[in-house]
Amino acid sequence: MSITVYWLSAGGCGGDTMSFLGADSPDVVELFAALDVDVLWHPSLSTLTAAEHETLLGRIRSGRQRLDVLIVEGAVIRGPSGTGLYDGRHGKPKKDLVAALAGQAGTVVAAGTCASFGGFGVGKEIEATGLQFQGRDKGGFLGEGFRSGSGLPVINLAGCPCHPQVMAGALSALAAGVPLRLDEFNRPLNWFGVLVHQGCSRNEYHEYRVEEEEFGQKGCLFFHMGCHGPLVPGPCNKLLWNNRSSKPRAGVPCFGCTDPGFPQKSPFFLTPNIEGVPLALPSGVSRAHYLVYKGMAAAAAPDRLKKRETGV
Amino acid sequence: MGERKVLDIPLNRAEGDLEIRVEVEGGVVTDAWSAGTMYRGFENLLVGRGALDGLVVTPRICGICTTTHLTAAVLALDDAACVRVPDDAVRLRNVALATEHVQSDVRQAVLMYMADFAGAAHAGHSLHDEAVRRYAPLKGGVATDTIRETKRVLEIVAIIGGQWPHSSFMVPGGVTHRPEATEILRCRHILHRYREWYERRVLGCSIGRWREIRTAGDLDAWVEENGAQRNGEIGFFMRFCREACLDSIGRGCGRFLSFGGLDLPAATRTKGRRGKLVAAGLAHGGKVHAFDQAKIAEHIASSWFEGYEGGRHPFEGLTRPYASGDEAGRYSWAKAPRYDGHPAETGPLAELLVARDPLFTDLVTERGPSAMVRQLARMARPAILFDAMDQWLDELMRSEGDGFHTSPGAIRDGRGMGLTQAARGALGHWVTIAGGRIQRYQIITPTAWNASPRDSAGVRGPWEEALIGTPVRDPANPVEIGHVIRSFDPCLVCCVHSVKGGRSLGRAVLQV
Repeated sequence: MSITVYWLSAGGCGGDTMSFLGADSPDVVELFAALDVDVLWHPSLSTLTAAEHETLLGRIRSGRQRLDVLIVEGAVIRGPSGTGLYDGRHGKPKKDLVAALAGQAGTVVAAGTCASFGGFGVGKEIEATGLQFQGRDKGGFLGEGFRSGSGLPVINLAGCPCHPQVMAGALSALAAGVPLRLDEFNRPLNWFGVLVHQGCSRNEYHEYRVEEEEFGQKGCLFFHMGCHGPLVPGPCNKLLWNNRSSKPRAGVPCFGCTDPGFPQKSPFFLTPNIEGVPLALPSGVSRAHYLVYKGMAAAAAPDRLKKRETGV
Repeated sequence: MGERKVLDIPLNRAEGDLEIRVEVEGGVVTDAWSAGTMYRGFENLLVGRGALDGLVVTPRICGICTTTHLTAAVLALDDAACVRVPDDAVRLRNVALATEHVQSDVRQAVLMYMADFAGAAHAGHSLHDEAVRRYAPLKGGVATDTIRETKRVLEIVAIIGGQWPHSSFMVPGGVTHRPEATEILRCRHILHRYREWYERRVLGCSIGRWREIRTAGDLDAWVEENGAQRNGEIGFFMRFCREACLDSIGRGCGRFLSFGGLDLPAATRTKGRRGKLVAAGLAHGGKVHAFDQAKIAEHIASSWFEGYEGGRHPFEGLTRPYASGDEAGRYSWAKAPRYDGHPAETGPLAELLVARDPLFTDLVTERGPSAMVRQLARMARPAILFDAMDQWLDELMRSEGDGFHTSPGAIRDGRGMGLTQAARGALGHWVTIAGGRIQRYQIITPTAWNASPRDSAGVRGPWEEALIGTPVRDPANPVEIGHVIRSFDPCLVCCVHSVKGGRSLGRAVLQV
């Protein structure tokens, strides 16, 4: 039997769709064919007329059309003053549609950090929230106790944008009935059980604390340049982006976009630190031990790294 | 007089949602109102953030013009910091940005525009069956190929900047990384493959042959010249459009604006105009006028914003959303940008007219602008970019290198502007820095120009104007409206201070 999917775009940028179109082996076309996905609606791909779309929504709401997977892209916008009118649809708040479809869906998937945690608009004039979290706080739009038809909470495929293989992999797992183990923020451990740091081609610089203090120096970006690689989970350096690279590999710090607290309040490209040691240390690390370790590591750093002779 | 009707038309495949209201009389649109329907408040949430934060925040305004927002953000900071950008950094920025364009132009044409040709509204068209075979979403042969080829070409952006979408590899004074020569060579391989596909599938001929077409008559002859050209996407598009009369709708306001884009490196073999590959200017009435950014102003008379009257230059701009629901005359959350007091459309057609491209100048002069010509310009634009991209990659490969980043130090207090061309047209960022923080950030996106509501003088925006006179055969499925609007390649998520129809359009004004 086919899997029916409705892709709802809420308060977002379309970046998760654009990212998903970059999926490879399988690509989007292969994936949907292999899983026998019936795309009921996708805002960038569907050709239903407005009237046909309304009929479809009516059928889903009344339960006459089965909805196996609801994918939400973008934050739920609740402003101004809780009305949701900053994101509307035919004069009604889009958030009402989110609630109605979530109530009918077998599984609800949050595509990206905005849908998962709210993203840029949390605490701002648009009063954004994620589906089941608002930043780090449980609850969000649907409430902590929400469970979809299949008994699952919202599956948070975090990232700004969500990595295409994470989306493709999650849909494949759901279709195959493979259970996804989730972390404390309901991100599947399959992709969020590794740190962005793991697999970074600049790891040796990190190891010996050979630091980048100015753009383009080729060094570890963690100590001064604001890199969140050792702090947040994500598959960027394991799966790579567009089959090719990742931001840290290209000298761009990881901005921690899979974290419920994204975006950080402090300026990007800057690591808050005390005497050169970042305030935020890799999770579970003891500060005292880390200081000693990094001091010794820096002293042991080989010349080929200090002179940037490495090809990284 | 025929029956008078008001239609509210939600439109998808427009990168964000929008709602269009049209008044139809005797089967023809007599008036139109355009409203984006979502307010995401990006300009305001930048205020108070770190000076460099626009590089991370603004690409996330739009998942499809992400590299262009990064470009505008970094140009604004280069400007504020008065820093010279090394040639190799200019080349790397340009190649990444142009890659976004050549990918977007084909994706939009096939997945968002021609997908409609496969719809039921065109069931009676003699080319409908072929359109279904080509463009049916996720199934059509060309739709499938387009997904596969466009994602491959984006690998170039990842090699240069780490990922697409949403990288921040452009920083004031240059870029964060310079791929080594072998990686640049891979970029060339990827580019050549895409170009070959574009020539074979989209043009049906070489770029050299395409560029020999200089007049409307040449173009007609070219389509019929051979099977490859007849059946390439452009040939097919034109044949479909003519039967569907898309060459006679969507005229627009007749003013075409380009901010100019793709700065030329100081030493390059690529030719351009006034230091840019894509020329800046305003084409109007058969003439091209020099561009002066001081002539830009945003109006809010028809928009749900408060704080000023008349127009304001973006350095003085304010974004204060306000709506009680009863304001007569306010019907949109988009502001109304004006150039020299007038609306202007922007996009590939504007770029080509400002550059005095012989073919498009002749098409517009002889036959007038239309949905077809606007869309044709988009499909043909990559043909102009490939050679420059290849040249810059070649120069990068051979470069002895004067570096790829000049440190500007901490960004000084002051202001800067970053003007460039997105796939969809003119994009500008205007930033003011005080105490190392962003004090003001104003953005005018291409869609803000095109989708603009009426201004302080009551003059319609380009879309609204382009819809006037459009025939609507079936009010239940007014596909013609979609054809006109989508010929502007709408990107509503980008319209950062536009709100999606949270409120129905001002009824007091629109009641008929």
